[in-house]
Amino acid sequence: MPSVAVLPSAVADQIAAGEVVERPASAVKELVENALDAGATAIDIEIDDGGRGAIRVSDDGQGMDRADALLALERHATSKIRTAADLVGVTSFGFRGEALPAIASVSECTVETASADGGGTRVQVRGGTVADVRDAARRRGTTVSVTRLFYNVPARLKFLRSPRSEWRAIADTVITIALARRDAHLTLAHDGKRVMSLPPAASLRARVAAIWGPAYATSLVDVEDVQGEVAVSGLVERPADVGTRTRRVHLAVNGRGIRDAGLVRAAESAYRSTLPAGLRPSVLLDIRVSHDTVDVNVHPAKAEVRFRDRWPVERAVEAAVRRALGTGAAATVWGTEQAPSWPGSAGLRAGRYTGAGGVGDAGIRMWGPPTGATFDAAPGAASVLPDDELLASAANGVLAGEGAAAGPVQLRRTYLMYEQDDGLVLIDQHSAHERVLYERFLATLTNGTGASEAGVPAQRLLFPLTLHLGSAAADAFEAHRTAFEQLGFEAETFGGNTLLVHAVPVPHPRFDAERCLRDTLDALTGDRSPGTHGRHERLAATVACKAAIKAGDALAPAEMRALVAALEQTTLPAHDVHGRATIVRLSWDEVERRFGRR
Amino acid sequence: MRFTISREKLQEGLAAVAASVPTKTTLPVLANILVETTERGIRFSGTDLDIAVSAEVTADVEIAGAVTIPAKKLTDIAREMLPAPVRIAAANEQRVTIECGRSKFKLLGIPRDEFPSFPAVRFEDSWRVKSAELHKLISHTTFAVSNEESRPILNGVLWALRQDYMRMVATNGHRLAKMQVPIERSTAGANDLIVPPKALEQVRRLFPPAEELEIARGDNHLGFRSPMAAVFTRLIEGPYPDYEQVIPRDNNRIAVVDKDALVGALKRMSIVASDQTHRVRLSFNAGSVRFSVQTPDLGEAQDELAIRYTGDPLEIGFNASYLLEILRYLPTDEVKLTFKGPEQAATIEPEGWDDPAQFLCLVMPLRLID
Repeated sequence: MPSVAVLPSAVADQIAAGEVVERPASAVKELVENALDAGATAIDIEIDDGGRGAIRVSDDGQGMDRADALLALERHATSKIRTAADLVGVTSFGFRGEALPAIASVSECTVETASADGGGTRVQVRGGTVADVRDAARRRGTTVSVTRLFYNVPARLKFLRSPRSEWRAIADTVITIALARRDAHLTLAHDGKRVMSLPPAASLRARVAAIWGPAYATSLVDVEDVQGEVAVSGLVERPADVGTRTRRVHLAVNGRGIRDAGLVRAAESAYRSTLPAGLRPSVLLDIRVSHDTVDVNVHPAKAEVRFRDRWPVERAVEAAVRRALGTGAAATVWGTEQAPSWPGSAGLRAGRYTGAGGVGDAGIRMWGPPTGATFDAAPGAASVLPDDELLASAANGVLAGEGAAAGPVQLRRTYLMYEQDDGLVLIDQHSAHERVLYERFLATLTNGTGASEAGVPAQRLLFPLTLHLGSAAADAFEAHRTAFEQLGFEAETFGGNTLLVHAVPVPHPRFDAERCLRDTLDALTGDRSPGTHGRHERLAATVACKAAIKAGDALAPAEMRALVAALEQTTLPAHDVHGRATIVRLSWDEVERRFGRR
Repeated sequence: MRFTISREKLQEGLAAVAASVPTKTTLPVLANILVETTERGIRFSGTDLDIAVSAEVTADVEIAGAVTIPAKKLTDIAREMLPAPVRIAAANEQRVTIECGRSKFKLLGIPRDEFPSFPAVRFEDSWRVKSAELHKLISHTTFAVSNEESRPILNGVLWALRQDYMRMVATNGHRLAKMQVPIERSTAGANDLIVPPKALEQVRRLFPPAEELEIARGDNHLGFRSPMAAVFTRLIEGPYPDYEQVIPRDNNRIAVVDKDALVGALKRMSIVASDQTHRVRLSFNAGSVRFSVQTPDLGEAQDELAIRYTGDPLEIGFNASYLLEILRYLPTDEVKLTFKGPEQAATIEPEGWDDPAQFLCLVMPLRLID
């Protein structure tokens, strides 16, 4: 008796179903994607009992005639591709022709479809076998009702979670699709109650507002950037908001919702130095790449994709997010915001603190959008402004110094405040200086050339500082000796754990070099950060924190202006290295609202 | 207490002590001026607890007594009054009336018991110093003290008294100013005092150069006294760094430069120098010094001066503001700079100064790396 046999197709279908349909949410995903592929503009999704009771997806797509409807229930029957060549650059969600038969094989399934209003077909399938075919009157479109999911696959059934958690998975799935495909009207109902109704949305922000509420939507920052072939758009959380609410991560590549840890990591690394350790931001990103550079046929449920070359994509994501965080919109806003969000950097450009009017657009650049690939450019090496504009802005700085009327004022020796066309700006002087120094130090360390002209100059001391260190701190110094030298600390060890410091950086006139060095060494004690870059970041952050002017330091007007100007040159002006805000803005709208003027 | 005083004398007395009254204080009585009758007239005193100043002016005292009066109000009244004799009276040490012509004021004072008593400095063991010499030392050195609070010692000026000279030294660890004047044989022993610059400023303001001052030391206070005025100050305690050791003896590159030309060039360079470090690069060659600055994000500048220079060529970086500050206090038209190398202390001295005093400034370079 032969021991090897080709499996009956029903069994094969069930096996395939295991890959495609692992839980009710995946059935919902397949059905909704089919509806979208059929050109539907309105899709109603009804779920009973977390999908165990019933799943019903109705669309107003192109529908099928009777022959197609029957064929569609066969495995590898599809209208979406015809030849293997079509697989390259496929744009429809499905194409494998597996979903419908797979679902049908593990449930009792009814497909009602009509390619035009009026005469349609109704096919009933039970466990993969067509049980009944008859005429049905219905509008153009297709309705697939799935009941008793997994009734014939006890193993699957046993592994289903509670209706509640299956329902949550379904809702997540629908949201993922809704974020990626904003042109369709989606409604979602559970146990007869309508949970979501999402009209077609013009923008991701509008869709997010419809799903999670307008307040949430306006609190996110726009991402919009193109790097080579990769276009990245979407919404990300302000660093100040990260960790205060549910984290949401949705990625879509060419309109297909996917999971990709690498891209999420790339987006998160753009937040580097703005978040406390362990916090992870919400990111909602649409990534568009040319269709032939991405393979979507690597996963039965197509939850993952493979890029021909993933580095450019990750770089583009990081750059886009970083750029978004560098804009004024990423600054913390005080009070409520109106829906169309911050007027953006345009309003900030001609910041009034430059003093004398007349300077107009050539005013000191405030958080203007970085032009081009700032991220890739060596920090500190190049300015993005043409020379003329640079000189003009320097000249304005001097002018403002003489005019002095509209410069920043210091509050409580801690905050700087100035007015702009669109509102009040408050800056935390310590956080701001910390950010400025951090980027300068990190640039120096990364360039590795020691204190170049752009780097940190060292003032030699008449009387060397003598530091008696613990052995751990002395080890920390040894481990970071070169880096410390690059930052301007020149020291030699002197009999074991004693350090003789001959030269120190002078970031500001009140700098306490000894304390800075001591505190930094204490903070670095036992530091095991892996990798040079990680160590550099950590060192730069620690030294910046210790070296920055403190709250309570009185600043001269010229110092304040220099600080604001330096902050504006940084890549992430709105956040300090601990993830706190450096800038808080109060819009005139908010002020006027509070005073009852509007 | 009751006395009559001319408006001019009142203003003179107030002006002498007003600067010692703190503008912000947690102890209300410190915002007041102590007004006491003496044998010769009236003594005004003010203090911020660190420094105390008192000045006496002549007045007609009818009833002896003392009271403290809000400094700001009293000064304002004295300024706005008509030039006529002012009658001031205080009943029960608290209600003060001030009358001048037909103007009349009533102010609420604070009893004198609440005014802090002056430090116990015994003038029996005092020594004497010419005010003019003290003035000279003070005005040439105090600029160099440190404003940063991590090393309190450097916030003070070292005043070293020896048998036949006295000197003052001030430094912030980056630059140093030292001046020494010969004195007639001192009666006091050698003494090293670290004095807050604010107190020295008061001394310079209060005592005219022609006077001779009595100076005495208490436990940790110092008193300056002339017949009509006195300044008391807390001393800063601790050993002053060994500045003698860092004064270079073997600098073998020597430049002599016209001061005004040097100042001009440095000021021009400062326009483009970085806000934080004011770093300027100086290249010394036989016959000339070339200046250059380069500030990323801003621009660059060069300049050149003809000088007299001996020694090997040298490239060295400095904080231009340190150089400019020192040059402001140099008394001669030409200045002498000496160097050892790009990492060692440079000296700046007056060139051709016809004066018994010796003046020397040190400045440490900024690291230059290409």
